[in-house]
Amino acid sequence: MFVHIFAYRLKCLMRDWETILWTMVFPLVLGTFFYMAFSNLYTNEIFNPINIAVINDEQYAKNKSFREALEEVSTGDERLFNLSETTIDEANELLNENLIDGYIVVEMPIKLVVNNSGINQSIVKSFIDNYIHASSAVETILSIEPEQIQKIIDDIGNRETYVSEKKSTGGEPNTILLYFYTLIAMTCFYGGFFGMREINDIQADISSVAARVNAAPVHKIKAFLFSAAASVLIQLVEVLVLISYLVFMLKLDFGSKTGFVLLTAFIGTITGFSFGAFISAVVKKSEGIKVAVIVGVTMICCFFAGMMQHEIKYIISRKAPVLSYVNPLNLLTDSFYSLYYYDTFSRYFKNIILLTVFIAVFCSGTYLMIRRRKYASI
Amino acid sequence: MIVRVKNLVKRYGDLVALDHLSLTVNEGEIFGLLGPNGSGKTTAINCILSLLKYDKGEVEIFGRPMAPDAYDIKRDIGIVMQNVAVYNELTVYGNIDYFCGLYIKDKNERKRLVEEAIDFVGLRDFTKFYPKKLSGGLLRRLNIACGIAHKPKLIILDEPTVAVDPQSRNRILEGIMELNRQGATVIYTSHYMEEVERICTRIMILDKGRAIATGTKDELKAMITMNEKITVESFGITDEHISEIRKLPNIISVEYKDNLLVIKSGKGKNSFETVLDFIRKNEIRFDKIYSELPTLNDVFLEITGKELRD
Repeated sequence: MFVHIFAYRLKCLMRDWETILWTMVFPLVLGTFFYMAFSNLYTNEIFNPINIAVINDEQYAKNKSFREALEEVSTGDERLFNLSETTIDEANELLNENLIDGYIVVEMPIKLVVNNSGINQSIVKSFIDNYIHASSAVETILSIEPEQIQKIIDDIGNRETYVSEKKSTGGEPNTILLYFYTLIAMTCFYGGFFGMREINDIQADISSVAARVNAAPVHKIKAFLFSAAASVLIQLVEVLVLISYLVFMLKLDFGSKTGFVLLTAFIGTITGFSFGAFISAVVKKSEGIKVAVIVGVTMICCFFAGMMQHEIKYIISRKAPVLSYVNPLNLLTDSFYSLYYYDTFSRYFKNIILLTVFIAVFCSGTYLMIRRRKYASI
Repeated sequence: MIVRVKNLVKRYGDLVALDHLSLTVNEGEIFGLLGPNGSGKTTAINCILSLLKYDKGEVEIFGRPMAPDAYDIKRDIGIVMQNVAVYNELTVYGNIDYFCGLYIKDKNERKRLVEEAIDFVGLRDFTKFYPKKLSGGLLRRLNIACGIAHKPKLIILDEPTVAVDPQSRNRILEGIMELNRQGATVIYTSHYMEEVERICTRIMILDKGRAIATGTKDELKAMITMNEKITVESFGITDEHISEIRKLPNIISVEYKDNLLVIKSGKGKNSFETVLDFIRKNEIRFDKIYSELPTLNDVFLEITGKELRD
């Protein structure tokens, strides 16, 4: 009987194009839009060398130490400047055409010429100020204790850092990933549509098909579970398709704990399915109202999990932490992020245990509502 | 006895949907439940099938108490719902095979039964069609095939011909009689008295959840005082004519409305000749004159004071 019901249910659900569209195609499209929007944000955070020019005159040629300092920060992959040595006329022309952010004139004191203010101009100015302070300090000490020249040069070359960064994780903090993790959580909860349909097709007071199944010599709960297995399988495949798309096509990082990522996807799918079944069993209204409740609750939970603005998630976890624990979508999002960011599992397992509690509540509620085998009205 | 229902009471709040309903269905019968919409036909069926809770009463099928987990009993029942109950995502073949599979485990036997059901309802050319591509009549036939493919001993059909074209209706009724000939006992609910008269061997008339009469169609018609209904299509009927017709022997009622004179006569000698003589003698011009035997609607009208179609 299991194979019969399961196989036909798979056929049924795979031909339900509307549900497939919302539960699989829509998240894929949304993921692509996220990627297009956030990849630009990410690009803006990467530092690009600043285009500057220096006037290649007699003063510049004479000031060997400044020339060497400038050349040092203008070479290599992690250089600060793209440096051009030009005449004053060429420099003005480049500046007017916005091809450089400014140019340096080596005189007393060293002068920076810019057209407007900005971060790049501030960085160049900061470099020049640093150089002037350091050279001034060297000159002052030399005039007092010339024998200390070698020690001063060593001290300037060896800067001590008194604060060091110690990572508790192998992952880099990346708030943009949160958006994609909420997208996966949302997709898991769109499995609620499958849960809703399973209830509609097993409750004789909701549909004629269900009445026919109830009149057949099949145990109602067994028939529901056999059908539900097909729904969960389809939803799980859809979630895995989305994760594969994010990993292999959009090259998003899910960390190295692949097995746990799959486990989270499975638990998320079960949570979403049981949520939809619970809503459908409890809300004694039309299918349209049930869909509205499922979508509405999912989107509100997505919002609080940071789907529309990632800072919301942190504000809630700081100001009202209870809300972040009673939001299953936040728990799912946080589970994926924990796997990506933390080396330890304590936070991840806390989320998974809470999700399991949600599953237990949804399943128990659904069972209590559908266990009856006779109806008050049909 | 295939079905025995005793003192069934079903209430929806203050509304009594079934009021101490009792009935028996014998093996080989086509038992008709006839009544207007809202008379309790579907409620009675759902109670018999143990889908619906009832407040009081007993239901036995095949001599055993009916319950939701009485799977041995359910295995021999076929149900055709009032609303078409099929999956839109499965083909005609898929739907019949799916529902048949809930009753029959053996794959080969199931295949044979499905093929037979397809031929029986005449859907051979539509096996790969999805329900949305079928006409109303074909859809009803599919609905029936899903209910009878497993060859049940008891078939319950709840208004299976609602919104069906005459050709399909005819085919469905023929099919039900054929199933009966093949040995199935049938419970058939309808508010179409012509259908019930045509196919049912015994009929129960329901009104407001109560059984108001039970018997064969002849037994039911014998219960009322009317024996014959004579209708005259004429423009020239006066009040004096009506008064004189009322005085004719064995006439129990005369009505004249919209140029139709309807005369009902009681048991005993037929009155058609007497009425025709009166018309000739009074030189009343008429277009048509015809006589009819009483229908189940007349039975319902006489017992309840209202038309079955109301």
